[in-house]
Amino acid sequence: MSTETPKREIDHEEFDPKGTLALILIYFVILSILWVFMYFIEFLGNDLTVIG
Amino acid sequence: MSESLESGAPSFLDQFPAEAKLVRATLWSSFTALILGGLFGIIQTLHRTDILRVMDSSYYYTVLTAHGVLMVVSFTIFFLVGVFTWGVVRSLDRPLVDMRYSWTWYGLMVLGTLMAVVAVLGGFVDTTEMSADVLFTFYAPLQAHPLFYGGLAIFLIGSWLAGADWFRAWYAWKREHPDERIPLQTFMALTTMLMWYIASIGITIAVVVFLLPWSLGLFDEVNALLTRTLFWFWGHPVVYFWLMPAYMLWYTVLPKLAGGRLFSDPLARVVFVLFLLLSTPVGIHHQYVDPGIAEGFKFIAMTNTMFLLLPSLLTAFTVVASMEYGARRRGGTGLFGWLRALPWARPAFTGMALAGLMFAAGGFSGMINAGMNINYLVHNTLWVPGHFHLTVGTAVGLTFMAATYWLWPQLTNKPLFSRPIGLLQVVMWFVGMALMSNAMHVSGLFGVPRRTAEPQYEGFDFTPAFGTMNEFDMQIAVGGTLLFLSLGLFIGNVVLTSLGSKQSGLGDSLPPALSGPSDSPVVLDNLKLWLGIALVLVVLAYSLPLVSIISRGGLFGPGVGTYPVIIDTFSAVVESVATTGIIETLAQFEVGVIVQ
Ligand code: HEM
Ligand SMILES: [Cu+2]
Repeated sequence: MSTETPKREIDHEEFDPKGTLALILIYFVILSILWVFMYFIEFLGNDLTVIG
Repeated sequence: MSESLESGAPSFLDQFPAEAKLVRATLWSSFTALILGGLFGIIQTLHRTDILRVMDSSYYYTVLTAHGVLMVVSFTIFFLVGVFTWGVVRSLDRPLVDMRYSWTWYGLMVLGTLMAVVAVLGGFVDTTEMSADVLFTFYAPLQAHPLFYGGLAIFLIGSWLAGADWFRAWYAWKREHPDERIPLQTFMALTTMLMWYIASIGITIAVVVFLLPWSLGLFDEVNALLTRTLFWFWGHPVVYFWLMPAYMLWYTVLPKLAGGRLFSDPLARVVFVLFLLLSTPVGIHHQYVDPGIAEGFKFIAMTNTMFLLLPSLLTAFTVVASMEYGARRRGGTGLFGWLRALPWARPAFTGMALAGLMFAAGGFSGMINAGMNINYLVHNTLWVPGHFHLTVGTAVGLTFMAATYWLWPQLTNKPLFSRPIGLLQVVMWFVGMALMSNAMHVSGLFGVPRRTAEPQYEGFDFTPAFGTMNEFDMQIAVGGTLLFLSLGLFIGNVVLTSLGSKQSGLGDSLPPALSGPSDSPVVLDNLKLWLGIALVLVVLAYSLPLVSIISRGGLFGPGVGTYPVIIDTFSAVVESVATTGIIETLAQFEVGVIVQ
């Protein structure tokens, strides 16, 4: 079973989740781009929806 | 065949046969609701996109109510009680205290569901007055048959008793293990239930004090805004109630499937405590456009909501890091290369990972919904169902289905009928949902309403900035069809598994976290403290809005009539007169509230 026979044993100290960090940063970049895109949808695609 | 076969360990069924039987029963109830809900789902999808209309549009709300209630009340909560029972018993490593008691709560939940569903399905039968076409939000002045509210109440009582069952098991365990930390899965179930008890205050008052007596004719009016607000008092935490069992599976099972173990036990506890504290004082974010609630209260709800992003981001980090750990142990290398080392051939893993990915997408549309100003753009459009089919429909729904591939063999001692079909099923769900949800979001941006049988209007066209309405409708229909087929594969696989023959040694163990509970402060396990703080936050967030709603409209409402949704198919004239009447009164009501 995979857990019982790892190819490589890694302990708590040496594990550095840099791949995770990279993925999460990418997610934040996508979020920011979508957020900016949303501005165009809201203000240019339609009439203003927030008034007064 | 399956990897768990080779582990040779005794399964959950071997260790706790009585509990395994109960969990199987709850999951069967859950799957029954899922398949019926899916049937209504595909009917309404093809109907509203005008691909295939098998019924008169006057039945659309009956179908939509059945879909909503079966999916987000029955499918999700029956699965929850099953997974929590499994998780509590497994992690405490002791049986439940009294199986007769446990079967009682299950029985109550079944009874409640049957009552509510019968009331809803009554809407299809023209010869009966019974109907409950009130959608799963059951806003007054829409009124359901008393059986619907009664069923809902009994279902809720069943769920509370289930929670009490897990608390009893924990107390019994504590006597045997005085100085130990609460095992993680039990901790997750207990904090979730505390959140549920707090949330239930709102729905219980709404249903038992107002809606049920009102539908029995004990009084003529209710304060629509008050019952709505009480609904959302419960309605936001309920989304975390759906999510928490999925989180439990992501934290405790997914890392194992990935070949590793949970990264941090303390972080998982912090996340569940944050959900307990923050889930309830945000419900008003569903009422941004409700007249009669001051902007200031809405602003506070928005601020609280943004804080609520924190535990979900912590989860993203912990869960992905746990997968990375597993992948690197399996020999994965590189900044992204480890992703390839994950066990993508296992449907349980792939399903949960894809569910998590969709949740990340749902996180974005959720942030849009949560923004007070931008919410006006999407409110009550098809964007909103687009959003929650990513969250509850996929992050939760697909996780449950995927987890079943791992859990079911351990509950039955029967190996999964087919892994390739399982894999096809989870991928099909992902693709179908990507299509359907994407097109729903986009149509919503162009103003297509949700909850509408025929969103095709004469003399008016939606004008999308790109694409055509036809394309979006096709995407929704094709996506919905894939989802429905995927459901068929799922249920077929489970049934065929159950028909198979028994084997031994199907158990699979869950390794402890890399950083264990002893590294975390003991105060995290102080459930009374967190419950107290959560209650204080709720009082702070809700007392002023509720006082102001009641002082404006009174407990029993500012003069709104009652509208049972009975459509008289014989007399179109009567119908149109009545409908105009409703619209007029509603308009007066709205104007009245705004003027106030
Ligand atoms: C076969 C898969 C599914 C299909 C084809 C489907 C389709 C749809 C469609 C088209 C709507 C919007 C109808 C309208 O607003 O007019 C809808 C609403 C809804 N769906 Fe689904 N859905 C599916 C699965 C799910 C799942 C798994 C869940 C939750 C676990 C879910 C929960 C809901 C809810 C809560 C609503 C809103 C009902 C309301 O507005 O009152 N659906 N569904
Ligand atoms: Cu909410």
